[in-house]
Amino acid sequence: MADASRRDTYLPAAVPATAAAARAELRRPRDSHTVEEFIGFRAGDELFALPLALVREILKLPPVTDVPRARPDVLGIVSVRGQVTTVLDVRRRLRIAAAPATVRTRVLLVDGGDEVLGLLVDEVTLVYRLAPDEIELASVLGGEHGAHIAGIGRPRSKAARGEAEPSDEIVTLLDLAALLSA
Amino acid sequence: MASSKDPREEFFVEAQEIVDLLARDLLFLDEAIRRGAEDPEALNDLFRGVHTLKGLSGLFGMERMSALTHTFETKLDELRLGKIPLTAQVLDRLFRAVELVGRLLAAARATGRDDDPELAKFVAELEGTEVRAPEAGPSLGDYDLDPGLVSVLTEYEEHRLRHNIQIGTPLYRLRAKFPLLTIDKGLDELKSKAKPLGEIITYLPSGSTSDDDSLELDILYASVAPLEQLRARIEIPGVTAQLVERRSAIPDDGAHASSAGSPSLSTPDGQGLDPRIPGPPAIPAETSARARDPSDPAPVPERGASVPEVPRRHTPVAPRAEVAVEADPGARGIGGRASHSVRVDIRRLDHLMNVLGELAIVRSALQRVTERVREMPAMRDTSTELHRLHRSFERNLSEMQSGILEVRMVPLGQVFERLARAVRQISRANNKDIRFVITGADTEVDKLIVEELSDPLLHIVRNSIDHGIETQADRSKAGKPGEGTIALNAYQAGNHVVIEIEDDGAGIDEGKVLAAAVRRGIVREDEARDLSRREATNLIFLPGFSTREMVTDLSGRGVGLDVVKTNIGRLGGVVDVTSDLGIGTKFTLTLPITLAILRALLLGVAGRSYAIPLASVAEATVLDPTRVRTIEGREVTTLRGATLTLCRLDRLFQHARTAPAPARSFIVVVALGGRRIGVVVDELFGQQDIVIKALGPSLAGVRGIAGATDLGDQRVGLVLDAGAILEEVLAGASEWRMTEAHSGGRFPA
Repeated sequence: MADASRRDTYLPAAVPATAAAARAELRRPRDSHTVEEFIGFRAGDELFALPLALVREILKLPPVTDVPRARPDVLGIVSVRGQVTTVLDVRRRLRIAAAPATVRTRVLLVDGGDEVLGLLVDEVTLVYRLAPDEIELASVLGGEHGAHIAGIGRPRSKAARGEAEPSDEIVTLLDLAALLSA
Repeated sequence: MASSKDPREEFFVEAQEIVDLLARDLLFLDEAIRRGAEDPEALNDLFRGVHTLKGLSGLFGMERMSALTHTFETKLDELRLGKIPLTAQVLDRLFRAVELVGRLLAAARATGRDDDPELAKFVAELEGTEVRAPEAGPSLGDYDLDPGLVSVLTEYEEHRLRHNIQIGTPLYRLRAKFPLLTIDKGLDELKSKAKPLGEIITYLPSGSTSDDDSLELDILYASVAPLEQLRARIEIPGVTAQLVERRSAIPDDGAHASSAGSPSLSTPDGQGLDPRIPGPPAIPAETSARARDPSDPAPVPERGASVPEVPRRHTPVAPRAEVAVEADPGARGIGGRASHSVRVDIRRLDHLMNVLGELAIVRSALQRVTERVREMPAMRDTSTELHRLHRSFERNLSEMQSGILEVRMVPLGQVFERLARAVRQISRANNKDIRFVITGADTEVDKLIVEELSDPLLHIVRNSIDHGIETQADRSKAGKPGEGTIALNAYQAGNHVVIEIEDDGAGIDEGKVLAAAVRRGIVREDEARDLSRREATNLIFLPGFSTREMVTDLSGRGVGLDVVKTNIGRLGGVVDVTSDLGIGTKFTLTLPITLAILRALLLGVAGRSYAIPLASVAEATVLDPTRVRTIEGREVTTLRGATLTLCRLDRLFQHARTAPAPARSFIVVVALGGRRIGVVVDELFGQQDIVIKALGPSLAGVRGIAGATDLGDQRVGLVLDAGAILEEVLAGASEWRMTEAHSGGRFPA
C-alpha cells in the first residue's frame, strides 16, 4: 500500500506533493501519449481507480451532515467553499462492509453530470498511468460483474515508474457514470 | 462584463419588456372598450412601444420582425388618428399582433431566425384592416382658438381636438409659467394633476419670454370637470386656467370678446393673463412643434433614433433646422422611462447574497472573538472598541441585507398582466365571457418567486376557465350572470404573500372527488369516510388526479394540479382549495416573500441540528407530557384551548437516539395557510439569519427538507420544509404512501 508521501503531483493543489514525489514525477517516462491516468483509492481491502480527468479535487473529510430519508448510500452533505455537496459512501455503494473514518479517509469530488458529488473513500493511494496493455477488459471477470467495472488495471511494475520494488497489484477501474447510477 | 455578452441577448430582454408593456396597454384598451370609454393614452403608449420595437428590430437585422412592426405601427397610427374605429374585432387583431411579435422573438432567440408560419398571412390581414372614410368633423372655427395655434397642431393633436369637440368635452386653456431650471418637474406635476381629470391636447411655449429665467407654456386641455374642480385640483403656483368659449355662443364682435365673459382661475401668485392662446410668434414653428409633445416634455434620446433636442432647461427655444415637425414618438418609449434604472442579472444578486451569507458567518466568528477578548481583564479597552466595531459591522450588514432583498422585490403585477392576457385568450377560445378582477397587483415578492409563480397561476386560472366557470347556458339556468368572474387577489401577511384565485363557477363536488380517489386507489374507502370536506377537496392536488380520464369523470377539475402543488411547495409555499358546490372555488397560495435570506429558528433533535424558517413558526413552547393524548394513533395536545396535532421530529426522520430523550422537550408550532401542527424537538438554540441553498439533484426526492445552510465552521445545517412537514403530518399515511412512490430520487436504491 502506498503511503501518503507517494501521492502524485498530477493531483490538484488540495493534495500537496512532496519533494520526493516531484522527483519521481520527473523520472517518469513521458514518451507514451496513449497512457491513461487514473486516480487510485482504497475502499475496504480493495483497490479501485477512476479516470483522473473526472476527479476535480480531493478533500479531507469535512464535517458531514446526514440527511434523513436519503438513500442509504448517501453519507450526507458537506459544504465545499459554500457549495452544498452530496457525499456518497463508496463502501455502501459497492456493498463493502462499513468501517469508521480514519485520518486517511478522503472525499473525491467528481463531476456527476448535473452536479458535483463527493465520493467517500478510505484512502487515496496514487495515480496510475496505464498503457493500453496494462488494462484488461472487465469481461475477464466473467458475465456476472457489475456494470460499474470498466476494466482491470495491471500496472506492470513500480520499477518502470522509477520506483524500487516490483509489484503485481491489480486495481479495479471504475466507470463513474455506472457507479453513480448503480 | 457587458461587452462579452451577446448583444442580441440585450435586444431580446429589452424587446420582451416592450412586448410585456404592449400587452398591458392592450388590456387597458380592452378594459376601456368594455366600459364604453376610450383610452388615448394607452393607444399612444402602444404606438410608441411598437415604434421602438420597429427601430430595435431594424437595428438588429430582424427583417420579418421589422416588417410586422411596421405594419403594426401604421395601423396603430391610423387608430390613434381615428381613421380606424377601435372595435373588439380590431382589438383582437392587435392582441394577435402582440402575440405574434412575442413568438417571433422566441423563434429568433431559439433558432436565430425570426419567422413564423402565420406571419405572412397575418401581416396581410393586419394590412387589410379597413380605414373608414374621414367624417366631416366639427369646425374648429366654432371655438375661440387662435389660428396660429391650430396651424401648428400635429395631425394627431388635431384629431384629438376635433374628437373632444365632437363628443362635447369642454376645452380649457391653461397657462403655466415655470422657472427654466425646474420646468421638467413643474410640467410633470401639472401633467400628473391634470391627466386624471382630462386630456392634455397640446402644449407649447407662449412666446412671451419676457423673463429670462422662466418659460411660459400654453396648454390646450379637454376635460369634463367644471372650472372650480380644476381650480381645486390643479393648484400649482404659476398656473392659471380658462374656459375656451364657443364662438357661436357669443356675439361676433371680435376675437377678444370671449375673454370678457369667461371666469379666470388664478392661483395666488398667478398673474392676470390673456386667456387666449396665442400662436407662437417668438419661435419658429418647427421648434414649437417639437416642444409640445402631448405626453412627455423631456424625451430621452435613444440609440439609433434621431431625436432632436427638446427646448428645456438652459436652451428652451433653441431652434434646430433638422427638427421634424411630427414628434418622433418612439423616442420616449422604454428608454426614456428606464433612464434611472439598471437591468441586473438576478444571478449577480444571488452572488452578492452568497457573499453576504459568508459575511454573516464572519460576523458570528467576530462575535466569538469579541466575547473571548471581553473575558481578558488586561484587554478592556480593546474589548470595548472591538465590541463597538462589531456592533457597527452588524448594523451595516443587516442594512445591506435588506437593501439587496429590496432590490430583488418586484410587484406581482408583472405576472398578473400576463395572466390577464391569458384569461382573455382562453376565455375567447372557450367562448366564455369572463371578467378578470385583479387586486393587490402592487404586492411585492422576490423576483425568483414571481418568475416561478407564472406557471402555477396560469394553471389554476386556466382550470377555472375550462372547468370552473360554466357555459353561458348553464349559468343562466343557475340564475348566475352570463359573465363569469375570476378574482385574483394578492396581499402581504407578515412574511408571507397570499394569492387568492376565486371563481364564481360550478365549484368542486367533493363526493365525486372522493369516489374517484377511491376508485383509483389513492385513498382507501375507510379512510375516505374520515376525511373532512376540505381534505376531500384537497385530494385534487394528488398526482393520481392528473389524468384525462379523471378530468371527464369529474367534469374537469384537477388537470395537473399536482404540478401546481409541487411547484408552490418548491418555493416554500402551500396551496389550499375550498369550494362550495354551485357557488364557486377558491384557491389560496401562501408563499414566502423571499427565498434568499430567512430568519430561522435553530433547533436540535437526537443530537442533530435543524433550522426552520421563522416565518412558518407561530410560537415555541415547552411540551407538557401530561397533556399529550392519542387520537387514532396520532399524538395531540391542547394549546390555547385548541387541539394541536403533534409530530415528533425524531420519529418522522427516524433518527436513532444514542442517548435517551431529554426529560424536557419543546413544541415548535408550525402554522401555514390557516393550519397548524406542533413539531416536538429536544432543544431550541435561538434565531439566526440563514441563506438557504438547494440540495443537489441526487437528494431531490427527500421530503421535509427545504435545503441546507452554512452554519459557519464548515458545518452545514438542514432547513426543514415546514409546509411539506405540515402537509405530511395532516394528510396522514395515505398521502405519504402516494408521494413516496413518486419521489424516487435520482438513483434507485
